[in-house]
Amino acid sequence: MLKKIVKSSEFVTFTIIVLLSLIIGIINPAFFSLATVFDVLRASIVVSIMAFGLLLVIIAGGIDISFVAFAALASYGTHMFLLSRGYNGGIFLYYAIACVIGLGAGLLSGLIVTRFNLPIFDVSLAMMTMWYGFIRFFIGSTKNFKLPEGAVGYYSRFLVTVRDPFVGEAGLHFSILYVLIIGVLIHCLLKYTTLGRGIFAMGGNREVAIRSGFNIKGTLLVVFGILGVLSAFAGVTHSFLSRHFEPTLFMTQNLDVIAAVILGGASVTGGKGSVLGTFMGVILIQLINRAMVLTGITVEWQQLMIGLVLAFFISIPAIRDLINKRASRAVEVPEEI
Amino acid sequence: MNTTNLKPKVRFEMQTLLLAGILVFLLLFFGLNDQGFLAGRSISSMAIQLPEIGILSLAMMITVMIGGINLSINATANLAAVLSGLFILRFMPESQGPMVIVAMVGISLLIGVITGAINGFLVGYVGVPSILATLATMSIFTGIGVGLTKGQTVTGFPEVVGSVASLSPLGIPMPFLVFVGITVIAYILLGRTTFGFKTRMLGTNPVASKFSGINNKAVIMQIFIFSGVLSSIAGVLIMSRTMSASNAYGTATYVMLTILIGVLAGVVSGKGSVLNIFITVFILQVISTGSHMLLAGVRGSSFFKDFAWGVLLIIIFIINYFTHGRRKE
Amino acid sequence: MTNEILRVENVSKAFAGVKALDQVSLTLQEGEILCLVGENGSGKSTMIKIISGVYHPDQGDIIINGHSYKQLTPIESMREGVQVIYQDFSLFPNLSVAENLVINEQLSSGRRLVNWKETYKTAERGLEEIHVSIPLDAMVSELSTADRQLIAVTKAILAEARIIIMDEPTTALTQKEIQSLFEVINNLKAKGISTIFVSHKLNEVTEIADRTVIFRNGRKVMDQDAKNLDIKTMEFYMTGHELDLDNSQLAQPDQQAAPLLEVEKLGLRGKFKDVSFQLRPGEVLGITGLLGSGRTELALALFGETPADSGTIRVEGREVTIRSIQDAMRNRIGYVPEDRILEGLFLQQTISDNIIVRIIDQMVNKIHLIRAGASKKVSDEWIGRLEVKTPSGELPAKSLSGGNQQRLVLAKWLASDPRILILNSPTVGVDVGSKASIHELIRNLASQGMGILLISDDIPELMQTCNRLILMRRGRTFGVFDREDITEEQLNQEMVADRVFSI
Repeated sequence: MLKKIVKSSEFVTFTIIVLLSLIIGIINPAFFSLATVFDVLRASIVVSIMAFGLLLVIIAGGIDISFVAFAALASYGTHMFLLSRGYNGGIFLYYAIACVIGLGAGLLSGLIVTRFNLPIFDVSLAMMTMWYGFIRFFIGSTKNFKLPEGAVGYYSRFLVTVRDPFVGEAGLHFSILYVLIIGVLIHCLLKYTTLGRGIFAMGGNREVAIRSGFNIKGTLLVVFGILGVLSAFAGVTHSFLSRHFEPTLFMTQNLDVIAAVILGGASVTGGKGSVLGTFMGVILIQLINRAMVLTGITVEWQQLMIGLVLAFFISIPAIRDLINKRASRAVEVPEEI
Repeated sequence: MNTTNLKPKVRFEMQTLLLAGILVFLLLFFGLNDQGFLAGRSISSMAIQLPEIGILSLAMMITVMIGGINLSINATANLAAVLSGLFILRFMPESQGPMVIVAMVGISLLIGVITGAINGFLVGYVGVPSILATLATMSIFTGIGVGLTKGQTVTGFPEVVGSVASLSPLGIPMPFLVFVGITVIAYILLGRTTFGFKTRMLGTNPVASKFSGINNKAVIMQIFIFSGVLSSIAGVLIMSRTMSASNAYGTATYVMLTILIGVLAGVVSGKGSVLNIFITVFILQVISTGSHMLLAGVRGSSFFKDFAWGVLLIIIFIINYFTHGRRKE
Repeated sequence: MTNEILRVENVSKAFAGVKALDQVSLTLQEGEILCLVGENGSGKSTMIKIISGVYHPDQGDIIINGHSYKQLTPIESMREGVQVIYQDFSLFPNLSVAENLVINEQLSSGRRLVNWKETYKTAERGLEEIHVSIPLDAMVSELSTADRQLIAVTKAILAEARIIIMDEPTTALTQKEIQSLFEVINNLKAKGISTIFVSHKLNEVTEIADRTVIFRNGRKVMDQDAKNLDIKTMEFYMTGHELDLDNSQLAQPDQQAAPLLEVEKLGLRGKFKDVSFQLRPGEVLGITGLLGSGRTELALALFGETPADSGTIRVEGREVTIRSIQDAMRNRIGYVPEDRILEGLFLQQTISDNIIVRIIDQMVNKIHLIRAGASKKVSDEWIGRLEVKTPSGELPAKSLSGGNQQRLVLAKWLASDPRILILNSPTVGVDVGSKASIHELIRNLASQGMGILLISDDIPELMQTCNRLILMRRGRTFGVFDREDITEEQLNQEMVADRVFSI
């Protein structure tokens, strides 16, 4: 059992997180504080929620890049609509409307993919281009900073706050609870439902999944629906945390989210991945971001470091394969016949 | 039996015809609706913008042809521009001579070769899936540039740097000539040389190509170097046109656009057409310029093109679905 | 043991006018092991698909457990307890053993939730039924082929199979694994589960069968108790003629000529060891042995794909190093792979491109462009010489039939003018007619002075084409025979003999 845990890719990610934390902490002891933990967690909230949705698609054997556009469409669309109606209430209605829009956009992609047997990547490319164009042409092309009164204080609604000698007051934003709840739900979906096992099955061997009687098209529709809803949810959350709505929300960040899912141990070819791993992948990226600042590497070199860590990480399985190939030859030829 | 067998060849021509048809339709549509559209000015403005994206699309296409992808093309272009820009500012800030151009092109090409070789090594020799390898190198190449420039745009080049984009021998803008030249070279390389032949075979069946004596690793390496070089040429054009170099230029949107063009042009493993790319780049540019003119004055008019591109792509998928029967899953 | 569980009556099935099955009847008793034997295209896979409900017969009845069906659907077939184990085992590599075992039941029960405790319990019970132990939480991708096979069998048992059909189940198994599979099949028999065992390896059939049915050209030509059957009789029924050899067809290589290829004490750790032989111009040297004997590995080492790590190779008297495929090609060694679809052909590319892929480097002009029209000339020539049946060389390779595809792979290598050609199982999955002409071609090539290494476990094929034979067992050369000095039966016994050792 222990051997199995050590061999898992989640463990690799976890080890890297621990090692990285230790190194940063030794160089800069200020790192070991609740404030840092809160900060890293807060930065992970939105990315995690999107990554959980994307995880399902990647396990099913596809790669989607349009989920960022779902987030932008749902959050910005909802905001501009409610703004025009003079809405001044709380955040709940935002979530409700945005999730419906996200669901619709997700299902549309899913329908096109399943109806016309198209590769997920190709369709998502078209949808992403289309939706960002749609938002900016039909809805609006400028950022909007006017928040409804009912949601003004949202960004500083903390679960707990601590006093930190370096950063002053630091708090853990309560939307981390969303990550927890959504994470547990997705985990249960993947692990304890026939649908979830179907997602793994089709990512592992699509032909056999069809032959075994899995409803591939239905499964894909659900996956896209969830992706749409979670992206919309993340979009609204992000907009309130950053106190503005933008039409090009997350436009260039889809690859970062994909990177986080992959760092978390999911396989680009499908059939493999976990919620816990994905969350750790997101944390790892945030940690690398902070490592630069805290260890004195200036912010300009951050991206290079992320790239190098990523290059190192993705080479591990390939190198492991090379070694295995060599080792597999070493099966003994019996000395005597 | 023979009619079904003929399909692939017909299909290839179909895609070209379909694209050409769409282009003609769009030209007529915009030409009839807007008097100024077919005037020289809009054509020549297109001819300056379109080459960059066209060359990057070719850089993307050749990697898709071997069943891969290159997400680092734009990062390579920007890195080439930034490094050659920094070099010029440091060693020849006052010079207006041809040496500036030589340095700019030379350094850029060198960067193209090096970055391509890094990608080729990771994909061909280490065996990392290209989507991951180039995602990482995209970050690395951008990261080097950002680190060296502290994230600032590099400007203040000697005037001569701009001449590459501004010259127009025989009335044709230089960037467009470069694009046509590269298209012809790529056409010959892919269609008439053993390199192109091996690329197609490798893309069709890498195991069979290995057993047929094709050195897969070497071909993958060459493809990525070629891709890097094309990207760096795009970098030179961008730098010359904007008289600046920045790691933020284009970024992910440019990469997505080139993939979009590739998909629209019907590029798949083992099959790619330089001609289709050429036509497709025109289609996108015509939609962009045309809709901009038609919708002049409408708020956000420049974004209508994105919407139209996405819709067009979906339409082409569906047309292909119905004309070529159900694709294998 | 006399309860009849399955009866197929006068079933016929035609595809596009060609009769795949013609008035065939078949019975199966409870707990019986029935071996279904026949060459490719003899109708045995059509029969499997009719029993499993994939195809509907044009006429005839299927009676399972006393229920008569005119048209059986796959679901009805499964409900009657028929389970087919295909060659790919229908498993999910990324899921655990336990889950693979239970997933079908999970699906058919319509439950929306997964009970892991129950899953493991059921899976464990399944494995106990056939007395094997495989860790339940291992990923299927980590298992050997043999273990996957056992998982597939267990899966069938858990689905309450009464009849298990195994399609060529031993293809990728080693001797020892085949033995344990046979034990499992005998176990099933004891439980009253019937097995239909489809194979063309007659030595296995003699070992496992209670009863043997032989198909030829869509008809049942023999059906009798396995006790009274020997391999020679089965061969007679399979091919429809006595396979006697006309030695005059075989050109004798010049024994004085200098050897083309000399291999001395060649070895690759874990694969084969101390392999030595010589190949003369004009000679066809057969290398045979069971799967896992090292025959394919030896071929791949000579071709540079997985280079040998000890010993020497001499080509035309010169010592050479073969570390890569390119090295092998430089020494004019060609290799026709076993899996022509995966390893040999570019299906979506044209026939002509497939032919010239090896020699493309020689088809360029002074400025390194491919000469216009050159490929057509070369490919048309080879299409003609090998009688590849196609209206045009510009059609994609996937438009060809199996036999023609195999000829295309041969053409690819012949176009490069090799001195030494390694053929790995060149007629697997090829129809009888094409098989004969490929044999003819091999003999012709040899008579023109080429040296040919033919790797095969098809004994009649070896006897018809080879001058000498090397028998490999577990990575060693076990014997070298002149063709005249050995009969088919002896060779068969020598191959099977290995099994006696391994038990």
